[in-house]
Amino acid sequence: MLVLVLGDLHIPHRCSSLPTKFKKLLVPGRIQHILCTGNLCTKESYDYLKTLASDVHVVRGDFDENLNYPEQKVVTVGQFRIGLSHGHQVVPWGDPESLALIQRQLDVDILISGHTHKFEAYEHENKFYINPGSATGAFNPLDTNIIPSFVLMDIQSSTVVTYVYQLVGDEVKVERIEFKKN
Amino acid sequence: MPMTPQLSPVEEQEKLLDEALNIVKSQAFQMKRCLDKAKLMDGLKHASTMLGELRTSMLSPKSYYELYMAITDELRHLELYLLDEFQKGRKVTDLYELVQYAGNIVPRLYLLITVGLVYIKTNPCLKRDLLKDLVEMCRGVQHPLRGLFLRNYLLQCTRNVLPDVAEAENESEGTVRDSIDFVLMNFAEMNKLWVRMQHQGHSRERERREREREELRILVGTNLVRLSQLETVNLDKYRKIVLPGILEQVVSCRDAIAQEYLMECIIQVFPDEFHLQTLNTFLKSCAELNVGVNVKNIIISLIDRLATYSQRADDTSSGIPSDVKLFDVFSDQVAAIIQCRQEMPLEDVVSLQVSLVNLAQKCYPMRVDYVDKVLLTTVHIFQKLNLDRVDYTSPVSRELMRLMKIPVDNYNNLLTVLQLQQYAPLMEYFDYHGRKSLAAYLVANALDNETLIPTQEQVDTVLTMISPLVQDQSDQPTAEEDPEDFAEEQGLLGRFIHLLRSDIPDQQYLILSTARKHFGAGGNKRIKYTLPPIVFQAYQLAFKYKALKDEDEMWEKKCQKIFQFCHQTITALIKAELAELPLRLFLQGAVAVGLMDFENHETVAYEFMSQAFSLYEDEISDSKAQLAAITLIVATFEQMACFGEENHEPLRTQCALAASKLLKKPDQCRGVATCAHLFWSGKSLASRGEEIHDGKRVLECLKKGVRISSQCMDPSVQVQLFVELLNHYIYFYEKGNDQVTVVMLSQLIGRIREELPNLEANEETEQINKHFSNTLEHLRSRLESPESEGLSYEGLVL
Repeated sequence: MLVLVLGDLHIPHRCSSLPTKFKKLLVPGRIQHILCTGNLCTKESYDYLKTLASDVHVVRGDFDENLNYPEQKVVTVGQFRIGLSHGHQVVPWGDPESLALIQRQLDVDILISGHTHKFEAYEHENKFYINPGSATGAFNPLDTNIIPSFVLMDIQSSTVVTYVYQLVGDEVKVERIEFKKN
Repeated sequence: MPMTPQLSPVEEQEKLLDEALNIVKSQAFQMKRCLDKAKLMDGLKHASTMLGELRTSMLSPKSYYELYMAITDELRHLELYLLDEFQKGRKVTDLYELVQYAGNIVPRLYLLITVGLVYIKTNPCLKRDLLKDLVEMCRGVQHPLRGLFLRNYLLQCTRNVLPDVAEAENESEGTVRDSIDFVLMNFAEMNKLWVRMQHQGHSRERERREREREELRILVGTNLVRLSQLETVNLDKYRKIVLPGILEQVVSCRDAIAQEYLMECIIQVFPDEFHLQTLNTFLKSCAELNVGVNVKNIIISLIDRLATYSQRADDTSSGIPSDVKLFDVFSDQVAAIIQCRQEMPLEDVVSLQVSLVNLAQKCYPMRVDYVDKVLLTTVHIFQKLNLDRVDYTSPVSRELMRLMKIPVDNYNNLLTVLQLQQYAPLMEYFDYHGRKSLAAYLVANALDNETLIPTQEQVDTVLTMISPLVQDQSDQPTAEEDPEDFAEEQGLLGRFIHLLRSDIPDQQYLILSTARKHFGAGGNKRIKYTLPPIVFQAYQLAFKYKALKDEDEMWEKKCQKIFQFCHQTITALIKAELAELPLRLFLQGAVAVGLMDFENHETVAYEFMSQAFSLYEDEISDSKAQLAAITLIVATFEQMACFGEENHEPLRTQCALAASKLLKKPDQCRGVATCAHLFWSGKSLASRGEEIHDGKRVLECLKKGVRISSQCMDPSVQVQLFVELLNHYIYFYEKGNDQVTVVMLSQLIGRIREELPNLEANEETEQINKHFSNTLEHLRSRLESPESEGLSYEGLVL
């Protein structure tokens, strides 16, 4: 089961479009679910995601136009409960212990958040945390070195293999991380 | 006598054809029998009778053709017999003369041609004279249908015997010149017959006649094919003899059907190398064609062919020869044609310009000036007609749109399109919808190709060109545009702004200023889409200047100017009655300025934060929006380390105050708990960039949170808040806040355990339970693992 995880596109406020090399990789029909951390910011990007897969979940980022996206969402894929939240509401931003608070509240195996525009994937107290970064490499005043990235999760029963795609210079680099549920 | 039933025209034709074919069959049989017995004269008689069927006036062209095919097939036998006789030396004396006395003219001439062919094949020195003779004699049949087929027979028979040498050893054998004369004469006569068909019969049958003419056109065209098959017809002969001969007939016949077909034929049948060298002649003739001829299609056909030819040519030997000024010739001649043909509709005139641009793009892709020339011509044409704006739905507008899109699609580079001086002026001839549509097309093209616009002048030019998207227009319809379409269109513009970019910071600043000028005049509906991208680009520029501070001594002033620029821009959004967006933009700006180190950047950061606060206090009234906004303000402030105590203190206080003044108790509780972080991980100049770690103030916040929760009437909400607060307590305990004690944790846990059972059994309670048990799980694992330094949970009562 393939799940695309991405967010913080910030189109058109901070970027004009997804990197061409990413667009070429994202082909409709291969992905079952899309989990978006938010800050699309407009309907165009949402419609684009809908062309890649019919099951699209979006949570509200601080710059999203659509006020109807929920602040948080829990989605079950295979044996995993996956929590989704943009992360601008979590103080301090990106702090693992603060994120753990959300994980406990939502009671999820995997917590996905964004906002920092920095890719993260780590285990913490037997739970898995993913930040897909910014798919467009959008500007963030707190970080002068943003690398465009997105994540693809391959969920098979109690194992999730996470592939992170990063655009370093002009090349797409892929890394693989595995997480098993206890 | 019985009356024969009435037959339909189709059945009538079938019947006549059948009858004729039966006679042909029987006469052919007889002819062959006589020839087998070497009875030539009798054979000839039967042949003549058979050929008599071709004298009919009753058959349609289609049926006549079938009959003709059947008969000429049979004539092959006669030809072979005679050839055989001649080759065996059994010459039949004066056969040529003999045959001329046979019966009626149609059979006579067919026999003459057949016999003549045999003579030519066996006596090459008779060739020239015989060919001349035969083509002349066919004049005897002036009936169009019969004449066309007769001359076709002549052409087909002589297919392989036409002399094809430049010079002959024996003059009487003929040269290619004789063949040319032969075919040109045959062509001219056939064309005259073909044209005469137009005027035969009643005017109400015109449509049928024209259809029949169409069916027969290939008979005439075959003459041109034959000319093209003569190998020794080189460019010189083509230019001096062949083409003038053909064109003279075509122009002088003054028949639209013939002219349209034959001009096409010339283009298709002769090689492109010839066309390239005879363009002036050909195009001049186009100007003289009958009014009913669609000259536009002929020219487009020729241009397309030559364009394909030039693209196909790889090696230096082929391709457009440098002495052929292809574009100039077409440009001049097309102008002459337009001049001559005053009745040509305007959209056709524009179509011709389209074909000229296509020519320029395909054959001379580097010559931007050629394209500009065509655009200038179009502008002049419009000016002469005193044309105002063209309606979007009109054919002229459609053709003009085609014209304007070609350079965009071919260059795939908006900067190259900008080099076309006449592009913007020509665009003005569209009405509002046309201009807007083209503007959107230009922007989309730039986005697809990721074309950067790197100078302020170019940015100015582009934004002026696409002004229907950027600003209200004087000829804009008053009806409201569909909001979704509008949002999409403005989104396109917003994305485009990121392409207005230079790597040179000073240039980039000029670009942003220019953009601001244009977009700022777009009105309240547009600026919410277009100003934010400018602001973010400006923030990024500030970081650029910061990075280059060793190279630019003015960097501080420039940074200050940039933040002033942003402040003004965001204020413009506030004036347009927006609140949430400007608030967020100010917060982002505050973070950015906080990281700058130019003089008085702290003051600017404070200003941005105050602006955000003002918006929060004055403009945001919805309680959900308020909680979101204050959380964002607190979260942003937590990240900033640039404030001295003088500024940090009032901001901290404001945050805590605002949180505690939120309307709903749960919101207050959560707000206050969030503020606790300001006193722990917040940084200021006073703490020298280190985390403040004011444990006492943190605890105060948390205790306040507990107090507020206790005031909540809904027990479910209360317990939920307690569990959340418990987690906050744990967070700060684990971060090392010594003010938070294990006793406090135990107490809170106890309280939760008390209240939990009192809750109604429902999904919400389930979730709270889960939350609580997860929290306890976490504590348990910490208790059991001894590696956490100084964070012992000893004494904790779960």
